Amino acid sequence: MDTLPAPFRLNPGLMIWTLVVFGILAVVLWKSLYPTILKATIDREARIKKDLDDAERLRAESAAALEEQRQLLASARGEATAIIAEARQAAERERSAAVEKTRQEQEDLLHRARREIEAERERAVADIRREAVDIAIAAAGKVVGARLDAAADRKIVEEYIGSIGTGARG
Amino acid sequence: MIADQKDFITPHITDAHTLDYPCFAQAAHWYQRTIPQACEYELPRWAPIHIGRFALDISPTRHVVMLWIAALLCIVTTLLALRAHNRRTREGKAPSGFGNGLEALVLYLRNEVVLPNVGPHGNGYVPFLLTLFFFILFANLLGLVPYGATATGNISVTFTLAIITFIVIEFAGMKAQGWGYINTIVFWPHDMSLPMKIFISPILTPIEIIGKLTKPFALAIRLFANMVSGHVVLLALISLIFTFATWILVPVPIAMALGISLLELFVAFLQAFIFMLLSSVFIGLIREGAH
Repeated sequence: MDTLPAPFRLNPGLMIWTLVVFGILAVVLWKSLYPTILKATIDREARIKKDLDDAERLRAESAAALEEQRQLLASARGEATAIIAEARQAAERERSAAVEKTRQEQEDLLHRARREIEAERERAVADIRREAVDIAIAAAGKVVGARLDAAADRKIVEEYIGSIGTGARG
Repeated sequence: MIADQKDFITPHITDAHTLDYPCFAQAAHWYQRTIPQACEYELPRWAPIHIGRFALDISPTRHVVMLWIAALLCIVTTLLALRAHNRRTREGKAPSGFGNGLEALVLYLRNEVVLPNVGPHGNGYVPFLLTLFFFILFANLLGLVPYGATATGNISVTFTLAIITFIVIEFAGMKAQGWGYINTIVFWPHDMSLPMKIFISPILTPIEIIGKLTKPFALAIRLFANMVSGHVVLLALISLIFTFATWILVPVPIAMALGISLLELFVAFLQAFIFMLLSSVFIGLIREGAH
């Protein structure tokens, strides 16, 4: 070591002094400067970071809530549409049922009326026939006189009229 | 001329058991009575401590005293910064004054230099690196003060600082990587076959170790050489006055020395900054474990 030129010689005493002085300085600064200045800074940084994180979290939360609200609204709207469609369908069904029922009733009424008319007509035809028989008998009685046996004659006339009736019909 | 040549540069940049202080000579020329001269104060010499066969002389030398003063200045400026900080936090006022400037410097170094390099959760290394910066800075600046000496221009000082940094770097590696720290000493590639590993490991392990030791070595040499070279150049320029031995040319070396002095002022800050910056980078590298 002593063969080196003076500036390059290591001095163990000076090295130990450097170590000691630097060590003491590091400890002193560590205990005084850094707890105050750096800790305040680190705390402030931590607080800012926490605030930012909170803001981010809140933003995410509100976004999620908004999304949920939107979904809720969409589903409500869908539901309302479905209800309206269903109601419309039900009304349609109801209306067509009513129409069908009315038509059925009308038809029934028509049928009944037709049947009644038919019955009425048949009754009228029978009446007329009876009436015609009576009139014919009366007229024949008038023409032939009393010699005719009422019961036997009636049978003949009725048969005749009946043949007319069926003939007229057939 | 050759006969009365005297090496006054080496004594100036090397350590001594004396301390320079301003004093006025008794008689001689008029300028010796008006301009302070350098007197030497003999520092006490302590008996060396014997550890086995090894004698350890720990008597304070000029550079030891400079280290004390640098440490003291660090503490004083820290206290000023602390006072300013406390006043500010107490009054809730805007920052002002020297102390707050120092606080701004501390925060700048922490946020822009140390933390980005050291990596995440690097707060634990900030105190050490800042101490390193301020200590080296004040030691550098003391070399520019009249009657002062550059302790950081002494290789013993820079080597000790580098060894401390080396220990901190290795400690950071162990703390961050756990058992993976061994990978920074023994080269053991994980993406190769076993025969390849066995073949390549003995070759690259010495390189790993040399690389590890080069970093603090470079730190020590860089600081030492920068501090010494400036002073050597300064003294060489001043010597030109005596070499030329004429009054006419005096302003020229003076102007050049003034320029170099300003450069030295810059270098004092730069080297303190670089020492700290590189230490941060090395700590960051080993914490990352880029193997």
